[in-house]
Formats: sequence, structure tokens, C-alpha cells
Amino acid sequence: MSYQNKRTITSMITGVIVLAAYCIYAFGKQQAGKVAPGDWKFWAVTMLLFIGIGIVGMIITMILFHIAMSIGIAVKERNCDEKEINKTIEASMVEDEMDKLIGLKSSRVGFVFAGIGFVAGLVALLMNYSPAVMLNIIFVAFNIGSLAEGGMSLYYYRKGVRNG
Amino acid sequence: MAKKIEISNNIRTLRFFAGEMTQQALAEKAGVSRQTILAVEAGKYSPSLELAFRIADAFGVTIGEVFSFEIKVDTK
Repeated sequence: MSYQNKRTITSMITGVIVLAAYCIYAFGKQQAGKVAPGDWKFWAVTMLLFIGIGIVGMIITMILFHIAMSIGIAVKERNCDEKEINKTIEASMVEDEMDKLIGLKSSRVGFVFAGIGFVAGLVALLMNYSPAVMLNIIFVAFNIGSLAEGGMSLYYYRKGVRNG
Repeated sequence: MAKKIEISNNIRTLRFFAGEMTQQALAEKAGVSRQTILAVEAGKYSPSLELAFRIADAFGVTIGEVFSFEIKVDTK
């Protein structure tokens, strides 16, 4: 499995964990009746908090991922020379035209999910649901879009991608 | 009837005649990742004109000796 695939899977796992944590925390509080109806501040604070957790979580995961990868290369090649390991990692980290094309194509799928989420949120408002429902639909759609982007990226790496 | 262009390549053969050049070595010469060379070689990715020239240059041959195309007519 290539570096790009491993990195995509790692970030997808982090995304799933953060989304699951958000659902457990926010909807758990709501189910327990700890969120007053019309308390938009709670949703704004929770979403901002989990966006922050997502960013920090992603940074930490990537650091751990690179450490694990360095150890993996050292074990695989039975070579503890730091320069050699760095050279191997740098060679696999090269982002070339195929990576950029796959990135563009898969991000399009992410935008589609985010767009559908936004429209679904507006429809929910039209159907007299609370604005909290709209906010949650948009937030979850963005997260799912990000996961779909990762999934498409893996698909393109496996199946191949064509220009045009 | 739609016409479809199928691009094929001789990278594997050229690597063999270049002293069994590794995909990694070719990737370094062409300035891309090994995965991209693997995808091009397997016909899963059609490279840009620039990369095609760089691959040809890595073998010291013309672009036509690396890549060829065939027009297939789709009768559906």
C-alpha cells in the first residue's frame, strides 16, 4: 500500500472517530434533555469545539503516522540510518500530477456531499424543523463529504484515473 | 459510432533493456512517485505530455517509442 493510501486511510479513521465523538456527545446531551430548545449557542460552541478537535486530532494522527512509518521502514529495510529513512519517506511523499488529479476529482465528490447537505438543511428549515437540525445536517454532511472524498481517493488510486 | 483512443506503453520492456531499471529509479528520473510510474505502466493513468517526455528522456528514446495509441470504434 502506498504512502498516499495509508495517509488517506489514517485521516479517514480520524474523521470517523471525531464524527462519532460529536454524535455521541451532542446528541447524547440533547437526548438527555440537557440542551434547551432554542439554545443555538450550545450547537455553535459544540461544532466549533469539534472542528478544533478535528484539526488537532488530524495533526496528532499525522505525526504519529509519520513516526510509525519511519519505524516501519527501519524495520523493513533493517536500516536505522536516519538519512536513508528520510530519503525513503521523502521519495514516497512526492505529490505529483496523478496525486493532484486524484485530489481534484475526489474533492469534487466532497463538494457534492457538502452541497447536498446545505440544500437538505434549507429544506429542513422550510419544513419547520428547528435551525439546530439544519446546522447538524450541514455539519454532518461536511464530515461525510470529507469521508467520501477519502473513499473516492482510495478508489481512484486502486482503479486508476484518466485525464479529461 | 464513438471513437475511443487506447494508449499503451512499452515501459516494462524499456526498463528491462535499461538493465532492469527499477520503477523507483525511473520515478526519481521522471520526478514523480513510484506509484505514478506503476499506474502508467499498468495503463491505469495516462500521463501528461510533460511527464511522457520526461519518461522518454529517462530512457533516452523518443516519446513514440514509449507510448503508442490505437483508435477503437465503439459500435454500441
